[in-house]
Amino acid sequence: MSEYKKLVIKAGPGGWGGPINVEPKPGRDLIASVTGGGIHPLATKIAELTGGKAVDGFRGGAPFDQIACVVIDCGGTARIGVYPMKKVPTVDIYPTKPAGPLFRFITPEYFVSGVRVDDLPEA
Amino acid sequence: MEEKSVKYRATVLEIGPLVTEFIEAGILVFFGESAPQELKEFSIIHDGKELKADIVPGDTIIIDEEPYKILAVGEVANTNFGNLGHLVMKFNGADTPEMPGDVCVESKPVHQVKVGTVFEIVSE
Repeated sequence: MSEYKKLVIKAGPGGWGGPINVEPKPGRDLIASVTGGGIHPLATKIAELTGGKAVDGFRGGAPFDQIACVVIDCGGTARIGVYPMKKVPTVDIYPTKPAGPLFRFITPEYFVSGVRVDDLPEA
Repeated sequence: MEEKSVKYRATVLEIGPLVTEFIEAGILVFFGESAPQELKEFSIIHDGKELKADIVPGDTIIIDEEPYKILAVGEVANTNFGNLGHLVMKFNGADTPEMPGDVCVESKPVHQVKVGTVFEIVSE
């Protein structure tokens, strides 16, 4: 079995927030892809680099308290806030900035945006 | 002209407890049935399946027979809607989207959505 490794994720070009720390732990090692069309390649890569387990958030089985990091393709209003609100490190593939009714929960500690697979540091 | 083409049609199944917070901000957030529980908290969950054609400005969203003219469509709005049944509807009268996921409609009071409410997107 792979060991867990910590990963620091910085904002991509035009993105906001971060760097965030992704640190899977036993019982909290899911890299949830809450994106359209299955597990996003960014979630797969984060899982690979950290030893976490990539799952499709739209197919169930990703309770909040088991998520080490969530990858979203949020257009700026809803998903952008709900995961940071619950203090789950959140990566938006789009270069969004804090907005929407959950604005106040979106902090650089828990949210980073505009991240592409190539922006991730090699472990 | 009664030659309307229906691009999407769905019935509301569930309304999350935090939906009212978004309504106060003039926003309705929709998601399809597959949305994870944490997203359901602030969403209107519906049974819509297929987006027959991309939404474009000039289309109309009809909620319980109340029409709202669509003024702007963000660049990722159609992808989100087609894949996830996810729609962010802003009742702000804006003709350019503030966020890439937005669908902006005319500035009118936010319709009171209930379980069983039917909404449709139609083109003229």
